[in-house]
Amino acid sequence: MVRVAMQLLVQTIIDGLLVGGLYVAISIGFSLAFGVLDVVDFAVGEWVMLGAFAGVASRAWLGIDPIAFLPVVFIIFASIGLLVAPLIYRVRTSRYARPALMALAFTFGIAMFARGVMLTGVGFDPRTVETHLVGGTLMIGGIHIPWLRLAGFIFAIVSTALFMGFLFFTRTGLAVRATAQNKRNASLMGIDVKRLSGLVYAIYAGLTAMAGVLIGAIYSFTAQVGPQYSLLAFFVVVMAGLGSVGGVLVAGLFLGMLQALVTVYVGADYTLAIVFGVLFLILLVSPQGVLRRGLAA
Amino acid sequence: MKPRRQTAFSALSLIALVVFLATLPLWIDDYWVRVWTGVAMWAGLAASWNIIGGYAGYISFGQVAFFGIGAYATAILMQPGLDWNFFLTLPVGAVVAGVFALIVGWPTLRLRGAYFAIATWAMAEALAQIVNTVDFTGGSFGLSTPGNAETDFFYYAMLIASTVIYLLVFFLLERSRFGYKVKAVRDNEAAAQSLGINTTSVKLQAFVLSAALPAVLGGIDAYWITFINPQSVLAGDITDQMVVMSLVGGLGHLWGPAIGATVLYLASTWLNARFGSSTGYIAMIGALLALIVLFLPDGLVGLMPRARNMRLVRQMLRLPDKRTRAAGQSSGASGDRP
Repeated sequence: MVRVAMQLLVQTIIDGLLVGGLYVAISIGFSLAFGVLDVVDFAVGEWVMLGAFAGVASRAWLGIDPIAFLPVVFIIFASIGLLVAPLIYRVRTSRYARPALMALAFTFGIAMFARGVMLTGVGFDPRTVETHLVGGTLMIGGIHIPWLRLAGFIFAIVSTALFMGFLFFTRTGLAVRATAQNKRNASLMGIDVKRLSGLVYAIYAGLTAMAGVLIGAIYSFTAQVGPQYSLLAFFVVVMAGLGSVGGVLVAGLFLGMLQALVTVYVGADYTLAIVFGVLFLILLVSPQGVLRRGLAA
Repeated sequence: MKPRRQTAFSALSLIALVVFLATLPLWIDDYWVRVWTGVAMWAGLAASWNIIGGYAGYISFGQVAFFGIGAYATAILMQPGLDWNFFLTLPVGAVVAGVFALIVGWPTLRLRGAYFAIATWAMAEALAQIVNTVDFTGGSFGLSTPGNAETDFFYYAMLIASTVIYLLVFFLLERSRFGYKVKAVRDNEAAAQSLGINTTSVKLQAFVLSAALPAVLGGIDAYWITFINPQSVLAGDITDQMVVMSLVGGLGHLWGPAIGATVLYLASTWLNARFGSSTGYIAMIGALLALIVLFLPDGLVGLMPRARNMRLVRQMLRLPDKRTRAAGQSSGASGDRP
């Protein structure tokens, strides 16, 4: 009896960690885009949703397996990101009253536009991304690990590692970190902040869309899931402290585990309520830790 | 002082507007009365959101929670067994929403900018999820209210409620010391505090006000649509629309929300009738929001004659080259190449 209970606990924690990896993947670029652009991108969940639909389209229209299509997804969404970023930058650095909030409203508008267009185009039907490259289940001592989830987790770890490598071992990465710390000083040191913002936003959009393909392969989704993933990304990033890359890793895995544990031990109906409630509490309890990086109101 | 002719013109147009709205059910059919009921409701909702979002400068993505609280208060109190009078349920909803806003706002309003937006959003989503699971709200199935078929009754109820909201906004935020304090907090919170304004209390009062008012509209809406569930009265779209209508009309402007609500609600009605679905509307208001932020940050009120923006437009028409160059220089200050 105890053994079964233990097995369930271990299984739940592993499930949670595997899902948490994907949350890390959708939050890490988002966190950095915030650091560099100073804008909380409300469209983050829509990139996940659009990425998932790109996965569906690659299978249905091109006959290519979505997992093999991942690099193309990255390129497509990075290009879209390159087009959107200058607009956000323009609003953010404009002379309007409260540019940060106007930029926030702008990304909110983009998110609604993406959602509306996809709802009009494909309707409300739930879908999943079908892949044949990875399937089946790995069994270790009574613990089930679907290969697909493991692949998602590995993707998340690899992309996070690559991203960290880019940040900490390249000159551009150094410029990104400098810009996230202090825009004025960074530009005085000869960094083209506008171009850099575009680059970071492009990487972020591409990365999030790739994570979206994998999320779409694991969970069914509709064109309406965007806001839900936005909130999950906010959860991770707020808990990590906006702009903190290492914190994202911990917070993403924590969120995955929290969700899995609540689903198994409290009830699936309460999962979102508890997740949002905890997010709310984190914001209230640690505004110091959260506001450390000083967001302009 | 305004010139006398201008005052007279404003007074005349206001009287014309009141006569137009008050006599509407006499000369249009039921369908259009229902449409204008919607316009009145959204104008009131957007105006309430504008108190916290436009006047106080705190973008809230959770105001739907208070609309929902009002709707549920009315629906619960009118259930068989309790059988409250409809009009008595409205103040109860407003008080419950106000108290809830007080409890939620006190810690939340310490957060700035995007954090406040995220916290209020999480609050509203959590509330919707809780309402979805507990029993006394009917869970995801929802609640019915006793039917009432009088179209005109609801039109006048919404119209009067929204007019009262408008009068409150006008007197409290445009013509009182409180209004100056709220705007001072928006424009520079530290400076406002240094001038002896209790910013926490001012923000909290604005937040409670912008929470209690939509609750009344929520109560009327629950009675009107006769059946509510979390998807219809606690959906994030409702907040989205309040935000977009205020921004499209003109953020922090008295008439902005009403103009935005009228334009967008009529547009959504037309799109629904024309294409039979509301998804295109989401795309449309999203694109409109992005365009407004990019090109017309003052909203549609910025297009009115004598508005500051119109002068800018005239200047731009006269001297296009010089102006774009000047704008490019100032905004590109941090983006210049080495």
